[in-house]
Amino acid sequence: MARKGSLQVILQLAVFALVMFVFVSPASAIPAFARKYSLRCTACHEAWPVLNDFGRSFRDNGYQLRLGRDDTVTADPGYWPVAVHIVPTYLYTKVTNQSTDQGVKDIGSGGVADAGMDLLMAGVLTKNISFLVVPTGFASDGNVHLESYWAYFSRVIKNSDWLNIRIGQHEVDLPASGHRPLSLTDSYLLYSYHPGVPDGENLSAYDMGENQKGLEFMGHDAKDLTRYSVSVFSAQDSLGSRNALSSPSFYGHFQKYFRFNDGPISEAEVGIWGAQANYPTEFLTSDGAPIPGSGSHLQASTRYGVEANIWIGPTVAPLHLDLVYGHGSDKKSLLLTDDGVTTADRDGTWNGGFLEAIWVPPTDLLHWSIFGRYDLIRNQKQPLIAAPSNYNDQDQWTLGVIYTLAYSIRDEVAFHAEISSNKIKGIGEGGLDQRTDSIMLGVDFAY
Amino acid sequence: MFYRVARLIPALAGVFMVMGSATAADAGDVATGKLVYERYCMSCHGEEGNGQGEAAEYMSIKPRDYRQGTYKWRSTPSGSLPLDSDLEHTLLNGLYATYMPTWKVLDDRSRRDVLAYIKTFSSRFATEKPQDAIVIPPDPGYSDASVKRGGAVYQKYNCSQCHGAGGQGDGPSAHELKDDWGNALVPYDLTKGHVKCGDKSTDIYRVFMAGLSGTPMPTFADSLSPADAWDLVHFIQSLSPGYAKNFAGSVASAAGEHQ
Repeated sequence: MARKGSLQVILQLAVFALVMFVFVSPASAIPAFARKYSLRCTACHEAWPVLNDFGRSFRDNGYQLRLGRDDTVTADPGYWPVAVHIVPTYLYTKVTNQSTDQGVKDIGSGGVADAGMDLLMAGVLTKNISFLVVPTGFASDGNVHLESYWAYFSRVIKNSDWLNIRIGQHEVDLPASGHRPLSLTDSYLLYSYHPGVPDGENLSAYDMGENQKGLEFMGHDAKDLTRYSVSVFSAQDSLGSRNALSSPSFYGHFQKYFRFNDGPISEAEVGIWGAQANYPTEFLTSDGAPIPGSGSHLQASTRYGVEANIWIGPTVAPLHLDLVYGHGSDKKSLLLTDDGVTTADRDGTWNGGFLEAIWVPPTDLLHWSIFGRYDLIRNQKQPLIAAPSNYNDQDQWTLGVIYTLAYSIRDEVAFHAEISSNKIKGIGEGGLDQRTDSIMLGVDFAY
Repeated sequence: MFYRVARLIPALAGVFMVMGSATAADAGDVATGKLVYERYCMSCHGEEGNGQGEAAEYMSIKPRDYRQGTYKWRSTPSGSLPLDSDLEHTLLNGLYATYMPTWKVLDDRSRRDVLAYIKTFSSRFATEKPQDAIVIPPDPGYSDASVKRGGAVYQKYNCSQCHGAGGQGDGPSAHELKDDWGNALVPYDLTKGHVKCGDKSTDIYRVFMAGLSGTPMPTFADSLSPADAWDLVHFIQSLSPGYAKNFAGSVASAAGEHQ
């Protein structure tokens, strides 16, 4: 059972930062497509691996350019839809106010992280049917799991782009992809945050950034400037309920892009998104353990919010600002106190978001990308009335620079340097705040 | 707090809509066009615009060498520079069955900028002006009779020498053809149901009258009457159900552009 003991998990932030590299494959650039279409990575990625307009359209069209060279027959015989991505890194992390036998300590640790690897297999099976399969892991622990696996049916109704269907485990259409972040040390807090009960646990493991098993219905106009996505899924790490659709959950996203022919802003976007992930809270048991698929009394983790993007300067080398803000709520039945049985006093609600800036300096061959992000979480109603009002509030910032050493129609290799800091209120020993600082140097390459 | 932030979004949408409708097109910027070119075009067309990018060696259909100002897909007469609208047409629609994708999802500004930069590769754009576009008379409409006449035109002008009797690109000369740069060429298989430069009947008509500069495909502007040219268009359209036919006889065929 994947119950998340919120405090226990949070207290292991140092480990978490390392685990990020092993279990959460962050970047999903797919050089196989570069080989297939003789396009450099820059064609699809504003700053690797963040997609630009062309890359987003290519993805939404089922990895097709639709000029007669997409499927397995018309593509060049030498093309093979497999790519490898790995990020060897040095990572130093320092976490404050940790409980040890020797008292409260700040603990720093560093070393070459135990990198995992993505095998990115994606392509077009036949006209308007494409696929993605991503086994990931392969680290020293020997674990490998399928992070993504789906088939995508484009233009389900005649030649309309307004209905495409994805079936399988997929990333929902987030305001900013949790699997294509520029930052390699910190994930988007907004996606993974849950209200905390001191020493308690949360039956909801919902993380917007994690891939979900289910169906996605998505559509867009010809230029991919107006788009929607609706996913129906079984929330990840749910034991499942006795419903026909096990723990049915939903996510929706709508975006509208605007383009400007003069002035400093070349493009802008606004959007709305929302999710309701349902988790069972009562189970039939065997020897006291919940029986998978026997859950009932579904309770919701709800998230909804807004987003806005602007691109200042030419879209080919922009300063891209991305603001995402949302509201979250976890039902009190999902939040258990330290005895593991009693529920919290009330629903936990919070607000959060991030502001991300990506700058691609207009230098020859666009080798540089500089980025920064500020994430915040502010609790609105603590699940336990007695808890401090700012308990578990978070502030996180990240600054990084990427220098693409070489990119071609075959591969890409980039140096990646990053510093970040995360501060959480009241979760350290004795109710102290806890801060995690990280420095990372790495080589990000894919072939 | 959340609602204060959320209220900004419809306000921003309104501002963006006003900005989008109020702006006007400007001329392309060469410096920005260079960045666009480096991001999207250079891997095939090369840093010098010579068609020798890193990918070119592996391509069966070679990328355009921009330095001569010689373009296959034009609305202007043979030998003329293309109009900007011709270049933009290629960017918007791509070239079917080649490595040239459609760039219609790029913003207008980027397209204008990269066209301005591409034109710097040939000095002709600084010293010459493109001729006027070829005038294309209305499509008289697809019919069996027109197809039959077009078949005779196909024979009369010896199209089968390269394109083959059945239009499959397998004529007697098919394996001897080279472009102006010495690259081997394969005559287009007309039975595919698509034409590289666009599927409209006017796109096919234009090829006969403008020719494909830099290739063995000549212009027939001096010898082919408009009526014969339309019959030939209809004959080619008869080779595949993939071509949309203009049975109604309106000016534009119903064929959509490539997506």
